[in-house]
Amino acid sequence: MNRLPVWLDCDAGVDDAIALMALHELPELELLGISAVSGNAPLADTYRNVHRMNGLMGTSYPVFRGAEKPLLREAHAAAAFHGRDGLGDVPLPEPPHENRPEKAWDALYNCAREHPGELNLIATGPLTNAAVALAKYPELRTLLRQILFMGGSASAGNVTPAAEFNIWADPEAAKLVFDAGIPLVMCGLDVTLRAMLLPEDWDELAASGKPAGIFTKQCLKPAWAASQNWGLPGVAMHDACPVFYLAHPELFRAKKAGVRVETRAALTLGKTVTDLYSDRKFEEQNALVVLDVDRDEMIRLLKDCILGQHRTIRG
Amino acid sequence: MQNLKPIPVILDGDPGHDDAIAWTLAKASPQLRVLAVTSVCGNQTIEKTTYNAQRVCTLLGLRVPIGKGRPRPLLEKPMNAPSVHGESGLDGPALPEPAFPVSGLSAAELMAKTLRESAEPVTIVATGPQTNVAALLLAHPELKPKIRRISLMGGGLAHGNWTPAAEFNILVDPEAAKIVFASGVPILMAGLDVTEKALILPEDFQRVAALGNPVADIVAQWLEFFYVFHKNLGYAGAPMHDPCAVMALLHPELFKTRALYVQIETEGEYCRGATVGDFYGVTGKAPNAECLLDVDRAAFADRLVEAMKFYGEGAK
Repeated sequence: MNRLPVWLDCDAGVDDAIALMALHELPELELLGISAVSGNAPLADTYRNVHRMNGLMGTSYPVFRGAEKPLLREAHAAAAFHGRDGLGDVPLPEPPHENRPEKAWDALYNCAREHPGELNLIATGPLTNAAVALAKYPELRTLLRQILFMGGSASAGNVTPAAEFNIWADPEAAKLVFDAGIPLVMCGLDVTLRAMLLPEDWDELAASGKPAGIFTKQCLKPAWAASQNWGLPGVAMHDACPVFYLAHPELFRAKKAGVRVETRAALTLGKTVTDLYSDRKFEEQNALVVLDVDRDEMIRLLKDCILGQHRTIRG
Repeated sequence: MQNLKPIPVILDGDPGHDDAIAWTLAKASPQLRVLAVTSVCGNQTIEKTTYNAQRVCTLLGLRVPIGKGRPRPLLEKPMNAPSVHGESGLDGPALPEPAFPVSGLSAAELMAKTLRESAEPVTIVATGPQTNVAALLLAHPELKPKIRRISLMGGGLAHGNWTPAAEFNILVDPEAAKIVFASGVPILMAGLDVTEKALILPEDFQRVAALGNPVADIVAQWLEFFYVFHKNLGYAGAPMHDPCAVMALLHPELFKTRALYVQIETEGEYCRGATVGDFYGVTGKAPNAECLLDVDRAAFADRLVEAMKFYGEGAK
């Protein structure tokens, strides 16, 4: 099988970590490198957490540091969902790792040059690193195949009534990326809140006795408490959505639309404005907006990935 | 179930085909008692919407004071919708010339007088931009307890129509809408979420036309006119934006609603005029609006067609 080359830019983050486990296991995808960005937690934590995931998975994906703060604003972490350390405050070993001086945007660009027109950028945090890369390397827009990101919403927001966290955290970066002319796949709250991992799912994962299964249940503890406050039946696998969309688009419903980001308002700062339902359309339809998912099938695949059973099943 | 005691209402709008149909529905219902009518600039200039208000009231035999509204939104220049409602603001069938003049009182003054003189709280049905209602609330905060609620057509929690984020009525005067939504007066919000589902289909126009009374004839032609514009946008019928604000008072059981805290965006590159609902309770604020989200379309159409019979039997 021809595996699709992927670069992951993330702010790990419990659902980033779970997305990473899926990305590692899915036979349709080939992960080439990982960059960390400030978002769910400060950069020092998200960078450290990716290394800790390398340790847990027994992998040695190259990891690069990206932006310490948004383009123009101050950083705001989401500790209520992700824990103080960004990874659910689960004790994980600190594996020895190479300290790479290369920055996220340079590493991403170099990787894209090795796979011109083919590299899929999956961004599961604020779009700061992607924006810096596009600002520094104008030709990157033609080198990338597409950017699949977790962020935004075609309806309501979760950090403010209008805005979703990743886009709200760095709206100017999102604007730069949205206006860059690169094909976009937007996995916003419309789809991600349907991709629910339920208590019975993480109980099953933990009962396997496998470290990744036990870790999954443990790391979701703060997220589950926060989700219950919201009246949700489980924890949304936000960041796993773009990963599964790339590997299994047949599980999703998506619609082409114009998407813009509000950066010049207080109440709606960071709102992703789509023209999906409006009589009035934007001039350019720049994104595929993912709206629904076959939840049961995606979660089944995700559990297989976490338990390391996916490759064996698929041969 | 029918209330024995009719609900007193003030009709504030910018007729406009769907305003006119909303008013026709209100006048036809024994559950409502119309105390006054006020015009607002929106679908057309204040001169045109006021003239249309007079003509519609004359047609319906609605002999109540008519207050003329402000010639422009609170802060912005007027914005009209001739592409939807025509140059007159109410293009289509010929209408009777006004049989009576407008009141000497402005829209806001007439609203205030009507509220003051009413023994019980009055419902304001506002189907245009919120300019007059905001003027009333700014000038007479002491009358808030006299307003039972504001049933308005405006906004869209999921989307807009005049821009991707904003609906026309709110976009025309976002500052006025912000004043209304922040006023503390209970709001019943008929936004695009419901109004684009409240479709009157061509077969329904024919049922209205077949009633064979003079008002029903004209309503059928308004529906037809309104449909032609929307057909080009891909609608299967004419969306009854403004009649939703009246129908929700008459038949709340037809609608699915949700109480939400709704705020109005007045700034932005893309979002000016957006109505923002706090679906996930992230603000911690108590709801200020009962938002209509869905409707039993067929029942809505039946009730509207039924109501038009009034003008055959009951027209006095």
